[in-house]
Amino acid sequence: QIFFLLFFWLGVFLFIMEGRGSAVNTPASRPLTRRSKSYGRSCVEAPSYFWQTPGHLTVLKVPTSRGAAKSQLITNKVDPEHIALLVKNEWKLSYVTPLHHFRHTQLKSYSRHLAAFIAAEKQQGVAVEVGLEAGFKVTFTAVLGLAETDEDAETVFIQIQSKPAFAAAADAPKVVWRGWLTCVNGDPEYLRSLPSDFVSLPLFCTSGSESLTTLVKTWLERAFDCNFGSLALNSTTLNWLAALWTGCHPTCNIRHLKLAWSLPTQPPLDVSYTVNPQDAWELWNSIHPEESTDDKIDIKEVQSFINGLETHFFRHFKIYLSAGTLVKVSTALGSAHLDGKIKIGNSDYITTLLTLLTESALLKMPT
Amino acid sequence: MDTQATSVLNRIIRRIPNKNIENLLKKWSCLSADQLRALDYTRPKWMIVEHVISFCEENRLNLKHITTLEMIYHIENPDQGTWHACQLAEAQDDAVCVELTQFKEQFKAHLHGVIRHISIKMKKHEDEAIWIRIAWGDNFSKPNHLKPTYVVHHLHTSYVFISNLMAKHKIFLCPALVIATKHGSIKDGHLSTRSLTAMRDLPLRRYQQVFPNAHSRIPQERNTLSSHPCIGKEHGDHEEMRHQMSCEAFGHSPSPKLETAVYRLETRYRGKGNQTLSDRKEFFRGVVRFSSSSLLDSLRHCVASGMAEGPVTPLLSAITQRGRNYFVITDKGPGVSSQASAQRP
Repeated sequence: QIFFLLFFWLGVFLFIMEGRGSAVNTPASRPLTRRSKSYGRSCVEAPSYFWQTPGHLTVLKVPTSRGAAKSQLITNKVDPEHIALLVKNEWKLSYVTPLHHFRHTQLKSYSRHLAAFIAAEKQQGVAVEVGLEAGFKVTFTAVLGLAETDEDAETVFIQIQSKPAFAAAADAPKVVWRGWLTCVNGDPEYLRSLPSDFVSLPLFCTSGSESLTTLVKTWLERAFDCNFGSLALNSTTLNWLAALWTGCHPTCNIRHLKLAWSLPTQPPLDVSYTVNPQDAWELWNSIHPEESTDDKIDIKEVQSFINGLETHFFRHFKIYLSAGTLVKVSTALGSAHLDGKIKIGNSDYITTLLTLLTESALLKMPT
Repeated sequence: MDTQATSVLNRIIRRIPNKNIENLLKKWSCLSADQLRALDYTRPKWMIVEHVISFCEENRLNLKHITTLEMIYHIENPDQGTWHACQLAEAQDDAVCVELTQFKEQFKAHLHGVIRHISIKMKKHEDEAIWIRIAWGDNFSKPNHLKPTYVVHHLHTSYVFISNLMAKHKIFLCPALVIATKHGSIKDGHLSTRSLTAMRDLPLRRYQQVFPNAHSRIPQERNTLSSHPCIGKEHGDHEEMRHQMSCEAFGHSPSPKLETAVYRLETRYRGKGNQTLSDRKEFFRGVVRFSSSSLLDSLRHCVASGMAEGPVTPLLSAITQRGRNYFVITDKGPGVSSQASAQRP
């Protein structure tokens, strides 16, 4: 028992030491337990009497640099019909802890169980949908090809259709809810450290009524012993998206770079700045030249880009945009809102967006 | 009553909450007291509409009466739809002598002269505003009463406020206004809002303006309950100065309720430290849009709280000084100073 206490306090001591060293790079919005530089694995292996999810004591890094957005004809890897399901909808984001005993081979059985669950809840009086639906048809589909690395699990798409009570045979069932679980370029160390009966699909995107979303989450929580939480994006992620998407302009016309801030005045003031795409790209290119041999983009370059725009704005209006919050970034490639809502405009760069979001989801998961 | 009349009536009654229908019908004074008493406003809307239609038919009312009702409704609820301001220019010598009857005659005469089928209704409101309702037809078809244009003008001012005007009718309306008010030309006022009250108050300066004054200071509406005699405010002077500056630029509360201001920027890049871009001759184009439920209050708070640096930039104070909310900002010229000027396009 003495050894246990010793190890415990040693671990705590190490945590505190690492936290102090990297205070400079830690974004203010993160809780203090996160670090921006990895000092390798923590010395304390996960004994079974700790209450965290297995594998979680591995330190997750917040990247300070990443590769430029690469266009890829995603339709080469993924069925175009599946892609069409993901694009053009607005998705609400959540994170989910690793799923226990989830099998990609059991999708049909999961479909049946979820449909039965929803029907049972509805009978108990849980308000599900207004209307004369006799029942719901649930489909779990595997969307193959979105996973990038060997550690990524394949994406799972869930669709709920309603069957009206008095439908004719020819009536197409109406889709009332959609959601998908995905993992794209997830941190490989973390994923490798998970025990074999856990599958990590940390990003959950939903579109449809709140009541159905809650039901689906409840069923998944019970079936796979996992936990959901809402995933709000932070301004660093939005800054990355602004820079990465702008960098795509030569290969794919982004049409505009629109940034929206909200200033805490009374009443609140919304400022939206829509920059001409060519001019935005030239600004980005002057900070991170296209021809640079180093393919990595550093966070400092991203910050310089945003600062440039904020300063140009300041010179005209004398208003400090940093007094407010960057709330939304949008281009033709997609849009992302601080509240955790995204829209995918163009499938060619979907991997970049999903990589960032997967990372956010993994970082947001509770310790 | 024909179908157009019933459609217009239907639309009016559907728009207003049931409790306001009674007042509107009373002001209209086309239904008798008994009929008004007989209406039950707790019924569903479609029932009320049917009752009113049957009363109108009883009283042999026609489209003319219904359009009067619509006008009364809009005059009572002016803050609907989107209003745009136009500015009259080149006033002739006798522009100040234009009388109401003269204006009405000239206006109607011109429009009737260029369009065969048109329906014009004019009404003078108690606050000296002339309200004009125009249902446009053309040389072949009857006026469309479901899409009327509304025009509001205060005689002897240079502003005209217009709502729901289609581009193709602009070429008829503008000359009519110019001739009837004895001016030389009319141009876009670059001001548009949902609230007619704000639209009128801003350019006509009907709000509490604050003028720079060395002596008097605007009292702040802060509650001084929190101040303790032993606590001195280190930045009290700065706060007062900022507050004064913000009121000078944006007026004192309550301000006209503008919702948006749009700036089209066509200036050279002025971000920091980036030599290659600052040397560029091309403009760094973009559009900035400010929006809020009450824009002037937000901007005033911005300046007073320090989120905006003083002195207030002319780009923002131009909203109140020039009474407009759409601007195109260009650099003055090759020898550009750090502040760009607001230009009329």
